Amino acid sequence: MSFITWQYLLFLPLVLILYWQLPGRWRLVLLLIASYIFYACWDVRFLALVMTTTFVDYVCALSIEGKKTASPLVLVLALLPAAWLTSCSLFLPASHINLIIIGVAAALGLVFFTGHELIWRLAPEKRGRGFLVFSVVFCLSILGFFKYFGFFLDSARTMLEFLGLQTNRVLLNIILPVGISFYTFQSLGYVIDVYRGQSPACASLLTFATFDAFFPQMVAGPIERGRHLIPQLERTTAFAPEHLHDGLRLVLVGFFKKVFVADNCAILANYVFDPQTPLNGYWAVLGVVAFAFQIYGDFSGYTDIARGSAKLLGIDLVINFRFPYFARNPSDFWGRWHISLSTWFRDYLYIPLGGNRGTKWETVRNLAVTMLLAGLWHGANWIFVLWGAYHGTLLILYRVVPALRSLGDEKAPSYLQGVLAVALMWVLTLAGWAIFRSPNLQQLGVWLAALGHWQTSLALPWASSSIWLLIHIVPLILLQFLTWKYQDETNLSRLAWPVRGVIYALMILMIVSSTGHDIEFIYFQF
Amino acid sequence: MKRLFTSAFLGALLLLVLGELGARVFFAQDISGRFEYGYSPDAGFDVRPDGTVQLFRAGGRRFHPQSFPRHRPPGTFRVFVIGDSVPRGPSFKGAYPYQLGAELKRHHIPAESVNMALAGYGARRCQVVLRKALEFEPSLIILHVNDSNKYEDEREYRRSQEFKSWHPRNWPMKIFIFRRLYEAKVEKVFWRLVPEQIRLKFAANDPDAQLAANPDQDEVKARIELARETTAASAALARARHVPLLIITQCRLMRDGPKSFHFEDQGLDALGRSLAGNGVYWLSMKDVFAGLPDPRPYFSDTGHLKKSGHLLMAQAITQMILQDEQQLGLTALRREKKDGGG
Repeated sequence: MSFITWQYLLFLPLVLILYWQLPGRWRLVLLLIASYIFYACWDVRFLALVMTTTFVDYVCALSIEGKKTASPLVLVLALLPAAWLTSCSLFLPASHINLIIIGVAAALGLVFFTGHELIWRLAPEKRGRGFLVFSVVFCLSILGFFKYFGFFLDSARTMLEFLGLQTNRVLLNIILPVGISFYTFQSLGYVIDVYRGQSPACASLLTFATFDAFFPQMVAGPIERGRHLIPQLERTTAFAPEHLHDGLRLVLVGFFKKVFVADNCAILANYVFDPQTPLNGYWAVLGVVAFAFQIYGDFSGYTDIARGSAKLLGIDLVINFRFPYFARNPSDFWGRWHISLSTWFRDYLYIPLGGNRGTKWETVRNLAVTMLLAGLWHGANWIFVLWGAYHGTLLILYRVVPALRSLGDEKAPSYLQGVLAVALMWVLTLAGWAIFRSPNLQQLGVWLAALGHWQTSLALPWASSSIWLLIHIVPLILLQFLTWKYQDETNLSRLAWPVRGVIYALMILMIVSSTGHDIEFIYFQF
Repeated sequence: MKRLFTSAFLGALLLLVLGELGARVFFAQDISGRFEYGYSPDAGFDVRPDGTVQLFRAGGRRFHPQSFPRHRPPGTFRVFVIGDSVPRGPSFKGAYPYQLGAELKRHHIPAESVNMALAGYGARRCQVVLRKALEFEPSLIILHVNDSNKYEDEREYRRSQEFKSWHPRNWPMKIFIFRRLYEAKVEKVFWRLVPEQIRLKFAANDPDAQLAANPDQDEVKARIELARETTAASAALARARHVPLLIITQCRLMRDGPKSFHFEDQGLDALGRSLAGNGVYWLSMKDVFAGLPDPRPYFSDTGHLKKSGHLLMAQAITQMILQDEQQLGLTALRREKKDGGG
């Protein structure tokens, strides 16, 4: 179920009404059921994957703390996803679920059970590390298979053919389960935190399953940490009007960003990055600016709706975006863009690799590895690897080139320097988006070549389209200026209430004017 | 105890409610029939207590504002022209319905020609207008048949049904200001800023593009067939009320090169021919222009006419009326005029 559907607009109020009526733990039962229904609306089969990740990490985290889950219970949990698929097969056609799929799920369950039993036989001092490795390998294997197997297979075949070796074409039609990168990383982060002693293992399976599948943020983040979300789920909060005030405001701003800004910018961006489109320099620039606002409006809009939906349930999710296009340097940009992912990579990859504690060369290496993997996280495509490499290069350049380092200094006293730094970073970010949005390297080449041709006869007239773009991005920019003071993109509290009322009314009108696009959130594909 | 809703939220709500109420109170006439999208039987017609009928722009019907007596004055040859943007014309006085009135008067026929044509109206919605027009004692109804508006007819029909639907996805659009804003955005003001090539290819919420891009040939055929059946039903309706009906079939001027051209009728002439007889007359637009050495100066595009083209049409219709003077009741009218006028 997507946020921008009428189903969600009915689903959410229904969940809210029930949630605030229920006592204590029944709320968690409701949230878990609601979350599974929310996810099953995409594909009921993939709930088996969510369950697998949940059960593996739940048991592993407890085991890391030395708390053994009873073997019969582990066996039941291990076979539950296969049982779920079996029950689904009663209602779904055979083309959707067959015995092989159920068999693979059951085999995975047995691997989980056997692994659990074997690791418990290790010496106590090795057991924690054993369960951590088991959890990481198990979850990343599932992620790797569904997200990257086809990609690596295809790349290997291309390379072999390039070397003149014959290959047999194997066509795998693997469907990417929506949100798999998000919930896998969230779950893994939790297990690592438990291993490091930064977070206690969650004793309640109900609480942990809800944490793993919490519907507002499950499919596209923000990626939560166990120590932040689990205590909130465990606490029984009394309803307060602030929940409603803040939640509705966040949802409204999120819809505005997604429906009004992103979906309208998408029309131009899709045109420019279509292989059939004749381009000149004007359209190349127009297209990448449109995409910059599309992806920002799309993703930050999703996050706002997610945070708003959670807030309506009395739960705070982390801020994921903080004026990213006002960043002064690449490091600042990643501190403002998809913050929950960049901090995840920082805490669980960059710092364990050594961070910036070693030599300059080691720091460069760590940055490069982290950004390449961050690029790959976005999708199984070399274009994302290139995008990660590009951002890695920017981070390295700003670190090793003194002039850039000085220009991008966040504590620079000069206002002019600040403006220059933001402008340069904005241009560099746009170049990155051109890589990110191009469907392949060839199309990226077309986009780059267009920058060298500014004859208007080469493409459609661009002036009226740029007015279209301005109409849809200026309100967002104004909103950013109004909320800048609080460093919170949705906080309008310094404005007088009548002004806020007018802004809300205008936002509603703008949203309504743009409904009907039915453009899915970009980050669902990741 | 804090309030459940903030002042700002309530203020926003109040603004929207006031906007909606204001629209419904101050633009009540414009809104009448608005959400029936041309399928309202009465929108745009105002029968006044003084016995006149006023045509006005309402409910998606952008009539040329006109008025005429509710009952046909004795001895007056009353013609109603129903159709799409072609008979609606480049302007009220430039369109053939107006010029037809002038031509008939030039031939000493006391005529009253009313332009009831509406841009984008296809066979289905023209029939709705026809049903209403039949209430006002016409001497002749001219039905201009085109095949290019079947998409619009279907789209608007779908909208009218959506608006009546209980489905939650249609709830916001039941609010007038929301609906108007949405339509202004996707069809009129802002939409024009995006080049047509982009709208057709990437804009999922452009209803015209969606329909035009529909690759389902069966559906397209079914739609054309529906337009044909509807025109036949309209002819039957006029026959049943003993009102003469003149069907004018549209043609397209296709420019093959700098000097060469040809006409296409999309099978409409065959339709007109098949319906003619027993009170139904037929005039092919192709026949009107095909005899000219160079008809191109009369057309503003493939289908629409310039003022000079409308004049030619008016003259051709006048000739036809004069030829069938007796069957169309003109002789009787002259007698009626003589008796009534003394």
